[in-house]
Amino acid sequence: MSAPTIKITVDQREMDARPGETVLQAARRHGVDIPHFCYHDKLSIAGNCRICLVKVNNLPKLQPACNLPVAPNMVIETGVEQVQQAREHVLQFMLLNHPVDCGVCDKAGECRLQDYQHAYGPKQSIARDPKHHKRKLHDLGPRITLDNERCILCSRCVRFTREVSGSSALGIVERGHHSFVEAQVPGRFDDAYSDNVIELCPVGALLSKDFLYQCRVWFLQPVRSVCTGCERGCSIKVWKRMNVRQQHMPGTDSSHVAYRTTVFENADINGPWLCNKGFDQHKWMARERLLQPLVRGQAVEPAQALAEARKLLAAAQKPAVLVSAHASNEELDALKAVLGDVPAYLHRDWAPVDGEVVEDALLIKADKNPNRAGVVARFGERTFDPAAGHDVVVVWGEVTAPLPLGAAAWIHLTPFATPLEHPATVVIPVSNTWERRGSFTNFEGKRNVFEPVFQKPAGVQHAADVLRSLAT
Amino acid sequence: MNTHFTPALLEQFDALRRQYPPEMNTSLVLPLLHCVQDANGFVTEADAHAIAIYLGMPSIQVVEALTWYSMFDREPQGRYVIKVCRNIACSLRGSERIVAHLQQRLGIDVGETTPDGRFTLKTVECLASCGTAPAMQVNRTYHEQLDEAKLDAILESLP
Amino acid sequence: MSGPVFMNHEVTTTSHTLAEYRARGGYVAFEQALRDYTPAQVGERAKASGLQGRGGAGFMTGLKWEFVAKDAPVVYLCCNIDEGEPGTFKDRWILEHSPHQLVEGMLIASYALRVRHAFAYIRGEFDLPLRRLQQALVEARAAGLVGENILGTGFSCDIIVHRGAGAYVCGEESSLINSLEGKKGYPRNKPPFPAVKGLYQKPTVVNNVETLATVPWILRNGPEQYAAIGVKKAPGTRLFGVSGHVQRPGMFEKPTGYPLAQLIHEDAGGILGGRKLKAVIPGGSSSPVLTASEAEAVTLDPESLGKAGSMVGSGAVIVVAEGTCMVRLLQVLSRFYAHESCGQCTPCREGTDWMNRILERIVAGQGTAADLATLKRLPTGIQGNTVCALGDAASMPVASFIKKFGDEFEHYVTHGRSLHEGRLAP
Repeated sequence: MSAPTIKITVDQREMDARPGETVLQAARRHGVDIPHFCYHDKLSIAGNCRICLVKVNNLPKLQPACNLPVAPNMVIETGVEQVQQAREHVLQFMLLNHPVDCGVCDKAGECRLQDYQHAYGPKQSIARDPKHHKRKLHDLGPRITLDNERCILCSRCVRFTREVSGSSALGIVERGHHSFVEAQVPGRFDDAYSDNVIELCPVGALLSKDFLYQCRVWFLQPVRSVCTGCERGCSIKVWKRMNVRQQHMPGTDSSHVAYRTTVFENADINGPWLCNKGFDQHKWMARERLLQPLVRGQAVEPAQALAEARKLLAAAQKPAVLVSAHASNEELDALKAVLGDVPAYLHRDWAPVDGEVVEDALLIKADKNPNRAGVVARFGERTFDPAAGHDVVVVWGEVTAPLPLGAAAWIHLTPFATPLEHPATVVIPVSNTWERRGSFTNFEGKRNVFEPVFQKPAGVQHAADVLRSLAT
Repeated sequence: MNTHFTPALLEQFDALRRQYPPEMNTSLVLPLLHCVQDANGFVTEADAHAIAIYLGMPSIQVVEALTWYSMFDREPQGRYVIKVCRNIACSLRGSERIVAHLQQRLGIDVGETTPDGRFTLKTVECLASCGTAPAMQVNRTYHEQLDEAKLDAILESLP
Repeated sequence: MSGPVFMNHEVTTTSHTLAEYRARGGYVAFEQALRDYTPAQVGERAKASGLQGRGGAGFMTGLKWEFVAKDAPVVYLCCNIDEGEPGTFKDRWILEHSPHQLVEGMLIASYALRVRHAFAYIRGEFDLPLRRLQQALVEARAAGLVGENILGTGFSCDIIVHRGAGAYVCGEESSLINSLEGKKGYPRNKPPFPAVKGLYQKPTVVNNVETLATVPWILRNGPEQYAAIGVKKAPGTRLFGVSGHVQRPGMFEKPTGYPLAQLIHEDAGGILGGRKLKAVIPGGSSSPVLTASEAEAVTLDPESLGKAGSMVGSGAVIVVAEGTCMVRLLQVLSRFYAHESCGQCTPCREGTDWMNRILERIVAGQGTAADLATLKRLPTGIQGNTVCALGDAASMPVASFIKKFGDEFEHYVTHGRSLHEGRLAP
């Protein structure tokens, strides 16, 4: 059953609108982007920026498209002189006290104000007034810096903390042109979802302290990935330098640097939001790697490590596999194909760490591994039983807490160095999530895919290849 | 138990709360801010946070109100706050002369407080005394149809 | 005594009391409404009277009431006593001299709209009007006219007095509602209109003091009687407050359609110091200014003033005599609107400040022809493009002052000083 539709016309183009929808929403669905700063699909309608004013049914007064419910046979015009004039005025007003310091602003290149000014702004400023000065480079909280001069007071960030994250940590204080965005406790904006306001900000007012002055965004390209921080498995974009934009300076290698992580909007899983742990993925994934194969603590060639592991398994009376909840579905399938009747146990690479939000009602889940559901679907949810008498155990995944393996011999497949004293007999480095294509299945059973961000380092193998090799 | 405010003030809060339907809890923001200002002469952000706790609402919303409405003072004021209307009807009837006379008599500029803490001089927007302009308020009391002689008499009559 | 609805009694030290209000027929209409009329019938009478809102916008009161859904479980009424439009002091007059007339009007409207809790949102600065209203409510409660089961009819209604805290924009109805919810007084986008989603998202009617205080008269004398006063399209009397350069500033109740010249030259005693009339702002500071010749020709009703390019607004007549500097006078207004812009929407927040900064510069003798050109342009960028009418209110004076007194502005930017020595007061 499809809902009845309403016919409207936007710039001579007839389109179907849904009852209850606004003109801006209907137009967007049909690929007509009416400019907007304060409007956001997932926030309440503020209607304060006034850039989306459109002409309706030839009425003299323009209406904001963001707050205009569609009505049958409504005729909307966005290209007429009056609308263009209004946009010019709004942009002129916004830039009256805006510093226009795009040259030193991280937002340049992905700034709505910049884009709209180019598309709709007046060719020349008519202002000859000195600009009002406001607070600059203000630490809004530990992660975000605020430039009140660049702010256009669209209130997206404020609405986000009230309507989405629920912290109500931000507000707009004072009145009129003295108004400015402020944290509930100045300097202490520490909402677990705070970094969403950076991308929500349509201008360069809210910026990431981590990414501040690190790179021009037009040198970067995003790669679709999945956050490995918990079993929600939110979609993310990992930003790395374009190949043609690599730095060639002695002592620098930018080819394996992820500069930032942002949200990849995924209506099915995370919508347009991500928690701060997700925004920190580029830092988390940069933790110390394990690159050197080891046999009984001695560095060896990869082939030697594999041979030693095969020897151990061949002699094993009762082998077992601990299966990483960070492994991709494709890797799990590879294991399943070669496992035979060897028992497999769920291995949770990570448990919540001190100070971390364990679980909340928005995105964050208590299981801090992205593919528990993928493991469980294939191998069940058994946890390793020390009393079962396994003599050789393949431990696949990071070990972040002591494992009760007793006297069993270990074969450890891990992408990252372990902080624990390493008792494994054989250690084989494997690639991490960002070095291959694959998918995770989240706690709701939803599959989410990721693309390779970087090439795997030399000498490191994909776990699926290692597993296949061990089985032969 | 809210320890930020005196029991007497909290009693006033409770009395105000009883006047409003319970579903209108946040409506008490302005009445409580007034209440604190009447008691203390001014309202701090700490007061705003404590009001938010009393009402069980996000404190940023109380801070927003505190900083948005022009009647709330956020720092100590003189014992007598003189607010002279500077809007159109009063301007047409000589409010600039009234302000000048007060500046000269009190020896302070608009926005300042006399060193003895007795007077604060302010200009404000329309007080709805246009038919009896020029006008001013001394604390809550309206004084209208002002001239220099009347000003002198008012200043001298204040205890 | 100079009018039927408000100025129908001698103002004495006790004329505001319940006893005296009753003696002049007070609360008869309310009792009659409770006894003889259904709520719908009261609404019909308000509509039939042709009464239009007296706050400034002039919307049909009966129609505003009609927009409220008949089956809404909770409806709120707010009386707008945030009288702040410069030039306006009528609501204050009603509260000081006949507060029960407002209380009765609020009760009748509450009955018509099935309101359990009505709010009197009064501007925070008011002193005597607040005390008079509070006293009137104490008297009315004691007399069983307000509260539970009023006069044994089963109708209950409480009136809660809520003080504002200094904000002109809270006179805008949705801003008033936000303020009453404890928030900053940011006006809301419409739709939804308050009659659909107002205070705490419930249907809400916001009416001006003069509007509500007129309702008892309409019920007592019949809507036809009211409709017969003044001009047909906007009937009734209005409280015209005359201020500025006149001999006898003050409040005058006149039927709509009354000649502005007569109000100024006869009722208000003519121009101060025997000077000539220069300009009149006829409906509160936001209404476009009229030149002397325009002012002499108009009558005080929407049609006549509309033709002259202005409006009745709040009925506040501000009179300006020859010799006054219109540039400095406009800057007084631009300063006010910049001070009162709530800060929510871009054109008003930035535009009001910008206009004021340019005018400050001109008044300081630093203005240029380019400044004047910009100043002429800015109202078109603000007017009609803002969330509420404050943007329009700030723009109309700028546009009309420059249009009608352009030579003074030209002179100021050309010579760096006023054509009239910057004079405002005589």
